[in-house]
Amino acid sequence: MTGLAWKMLRHRPGSALATLVALAAGVMILMAMGALVESGLRHRPPAPVRYAAADVVVAHRDITVSVKEFDGSVTRSSVRLPEGGTVPAELVDRIRALPGVATAAADDPVPVLLPAASTALTGHGWSSAALAPYRTVAGGAPTGDSQLAADRRLGLAPGQDVELLVAGTARTYRVSGVVDGPVAAVFFTDAHAATLSAHPGRVAAVGVVAAPGTDVAALAAAVRTVAGDAGATVYTGADRSTAENSAGSAAEEGARDLLIQAGGAFGGYVVLLIVFVVAATVGLSVRHRRRDLALLRAVAATPAQVRRMIMAEALLVGLAAVAVGGPAGILATRWVRDQLVGRGFVPAAFPVSQGQLAPVAAAAVITLVAVLSALIAARRVTAIRPVEALGEVAVEPPRSGTVRLVCGLAALAGAVSSGSFTLGAGGQAALAGAIGMLYLFVTAVGLLAPWINRTAATVLAPVLRTVWGTSGYLATANLRANARGMAVVLTALVLSVGLGGSVWFLQDNLERQTLAQSRDGLLAEHALLSPAGLPPGAVEEARRTPGVRAATAVRRTAVVVKFLDGAETVGAQAVDATDLAATMDLRVREGDLADLAAGTVAASSIRASTHGWDVGDRVEFWLGDGTPVQLTLVAIYDRGLGFGDITLTRDTVAGHTARDLDDEVLIRADGPADLAALAARHPGSTLVGTGGLTRRLADDLAVSAWLNKLLVGVMVGYAALAAANTMVIAALARRRELAVLRLAGVTRGQARRMVHAEQAGLLGVAVLLGAAIALATLAMVVNSATGEPVPYVPPLGWVTVVGGTALLALFTTVLPIGRLLRVPPIEHMGVKE
Amino acid sequence: MSVHVGQFAEAAVRVERLTRTYGTGPQAVTALAGVDVTFHPGTFTAVMGPSGSGKSTLLQTAAGLDRATSGRVWVGATELTGLSETRLTKLRRDQIGFVFQAFNLVAALTVEENIVLPLRLSGARPDHAWLNHVIDRVGLRERLHHRPSALSGGQQQRVAIARALATRPEVIFCDEPTGALDTETAADVLTLLRAVVDEHRQTVVMVTHDPVAASYADRVLVLADGRIVRDLPQPGVDRIAEQLASLGRRRAVAA
Repeated sequence: MTGLAWKMLRHRPGSALATLVALAAGVMILMAMGALVESGLRHRPPAPVRYAAADVVVAHRDITVSVKEFDGSVTRSSVRLPEGGTVPAELVDRIRALPGVATAAADDPVPVLLPAASTALTGHGWSSAALAPYRTVAGGAPTGDSQLAADRRLGLAPGQDVELLVAGTARTYRVSGVVDGPVAAVFFTDAHAATLSAHPGRVAAVGVVAAPGTDVAALAAAVRTVAGDAGATVYTGADRSTAENSAGSAAEEGARDLLIQAGGAFGGYVVLLIVFVVAATVGLSVRHRRRDLALLRAVAATPAQVRRMIMAEALLVGLAAVAVGGPAGILATRWVRDQLVGRGFVPAAFPVSQGQLAPVAAAAVITLVAVLSALIAARRVTAIRPVEALGEVAVEPPRSGTVRLVCGLAALAGAVSSGSFTLGAGGQAALAGAIGMLYLFVTAVGLLAPWINRTAATVLAPVLRTVWGTSGYLATANLRANARGMAVVLTALVLSVGLGGSVWFLQDNLERQTLAQSRDGLLAEHALLSPAGLPPGAVEEARRTPGVRAATAVRRTAVVVKFLDGAETVGAQAVDATDLAATMDLRVREGDLADLAAGTVAASSIRASTHGWDVGDRVEFWLGDGTPVQLTLVAIYDRGLGFGDITLTRDTVAGHTARDLDDEVLIRADGPADLAALAARHPGSTLVGTGGLTRRLADDLAVSAWLNKLLVGVMVGYAALAAANTMVIAALARRRELAVLRLAGVTRGQARRMVHAEQAGLLGVAVLLGAAIALATLAMVVNSATGEPVPYVPPLGWVTVVGGTALLALFTTVLPIGRLLRVPPIEHMGVKE
Repeated sequence: MSVHVGQFAEAAVRVERLTRTYGTGPQAVTALAGVDVTFHPGTFTAVMGPSGSGKSTLLQTAAGLDRATSGRVWVGATELTGLSETRLTKLRRDQIGFVFQAFNLVAALTVEENIVLPLRLSGARPDHAWLNHVIDRVGLRERLHHRPSALSGGQQQRVAIARALATRPEVIFCDEPTGALDTETAADVLTLLRAVVDEHRQTVVMVTHDPVAASYADRVLVLADGRIVRDLPQPGVDRIAEQLASLGRRRAVAA
């Protein structure tokens, strides 16, 4: 059978190639996607660095939210704390008292900037040096508030004076000693480190070194009983790096979550799309050979033999696709990895590599889907009565497909009802509803495609006849006759336009809205920015500067909010409310921002509607370090995208952020003010116009939109490929039909115009439906996310959709048919099909 | 050389009260309205009749390509009624050869591969001496490795005949085998079919509307409205034409 299958394939290279392309692209996409997800899943936290010498580390890095489901089961989900949680400092003493503890030390890093080298470091208490460990190579431990021990990487010598920016303030220290450890750091006395802490009385972690011969597991259990009431987690082994909360491990964890989430959000849809495309292409390639298969059946082949032959063909093409798509998948993985690293999604050290599972799974999925869809198509074909081989034309019998119709109508009803649900819902629920609606609509179109095509042919008949005359009349007849065969084209195009249009343009809308909100809402003209952080007093200094009318300190943080059956991190800004009304206009919809004080909070309208919050409500969430709070909602504002969904006062978050520093000071001046001097007093800070602030935001957004656009681009491209494949196969199969028409007196020009009319009808309907679905989804999502009732579609977007479709028609149908038409018709009339 | 021995040799194909109706209800069309006929081994029968008389349906049901609405069909000693699709296929593969008007050959396969296709599908070991004989007989030795698209219409029909002979079937059914050929090539193909009957005692049943083609047969059946209206030993071209014409006239008068 395999030999026969191979010969059959070789005889129809076009059709085999089209299938091969679809399958190989599928393997490539699945492999790359799988490699990303697998790398995410396989990622193990890096080996502990800072706490390498500690056997047990106590810290508070994430919170677990448990929700009771309707069926009584409890779902737990854990969220990493955006500010890294803290544990009580007195825990150190209690742990030290446990048997088997050699050393217990608290660690509470403070950001330190070495202005001379503009190197960002962390500062620690001296006792925590033992946790790495850092060994003294020269001099000794710091003995006073103005002394420190420095890592040898800093190139300092004992006795030297060094100026540092510690917690936003410039200070001078004398180097008491030089130490050698894993990363550059400085060590103050424990007492001095405690005074520098952003959260007095609490520390980031407690490290425990076990006495020699102590069972670490038993020690960990003992520590757990002590730490348990403090809400802290005990980490041992490789997990210790989780507790380190260093920039590196946080970035890696972020990358891991990103890869897994991207896989989770898009993976299912990509797999579904690929399954759909592969099944459609294989099915089509089988359907186009009815006559050959009928002949085989008539002369000698049993139904089982025909099935085996078709499956062998699919298997051969599948294996070839794996051979072609495999290397392409490796290249694609490498490219995506480079892009992710280049755009800062993934740290360069993060291992993104082709695991063993992803390629095997991709190859297996594609081959299996190809063979299974071949089997399904073959089952349909074996129902061919061999008598068909005797007939002149092998026409596909019309199939009623009641099941398909019912499913299609059900999907349509689902789409419409989820649409009305989305209209009624607000915030995040609306977003989820809109995406669900999009997929239901596309599914409905896919299922109802034959009927849509047929109806469209009838409705469009007068139009096509008016524009193209006789050719239009013929085109209508063809559209009606091929309604079923062209279902794949309609579905693939609607999917491309619908999905691409909504998700791609959604990114544009979000970017545009965020920028517009930020631009319109920032009343201040200047912003003093500092990556190293500004001390809380900087805003007062700004206010005292002559010419300054108002200044607001802004601290970027995040809070954790319970959402559905989990919790999510929400961006927040903590401000000092003094001059708020003069520096930013959040466009308050309800309540009054003047009421914003300690113990109160303001939320964006999207956030408020997601959780059903009203002004005056006591709302509950966790601050960035995991501290639960209950605050009174005093205002609901519209400009959440540009400023953050939650606005609190600095006092509310004080002690609950990793550093007690402000990120920016917004300054509104009446006239020329000497702000340069202000910036000069704060090393590491820069003064920018607020326009620059918005531009930075735009760059950040463009970067974060890139991954979504890439994934959507891949899906749209693949769906378009499926449409192109189907159209080429269908066009080439029309040899005989065109010859018959021309022998019946249709001129070459008329035949060409007929094809144009058909394409206009088919693709026009597809683009219209796709655009309608995309616009409906987009309008709902944009409305729920930004409050704008009318979505923005960039002019280039329209051009791309319409131009892309036109190019598709040109290359897949108009050109191949043009070539067929150049050959004298009688040559196509012969016995050869 | 005799293909058949024993008691079953007396009927290669036999049909009894065969009816075939297409569709149901008021739109039902009766293609065969009770046909009884026996085709004896070593004979060449032409089945004739106007369009729609049921001649192709008779051939298809007798060959197991189509199922009868009622009645019974035997090919050799096997009764076709109630056979599964797979059993039917195996029967066709081993005991029946086909030559259609066109689209006889699998375009992806060479001439040789087309000829041995039924053997290959049945998994039987080809009898090379016989195959060589068949290939020489149809005169295709030079073209064995060509694809069907490189052959003329007549040559394609010869390949089809060779394929039909390859399994040494009980009977070869031909549906307008010369319908798409010019007179000279048609004569060539018909001579070959005649020789197959004379030299190898093959049984050939051929549907045709061409009196000249029918004149190569030993026996001419004429069908009209799903029934056999004439069953003549070879009457000659003129008689055949006359019979057909009279059939046409009677219909015209009746209508």
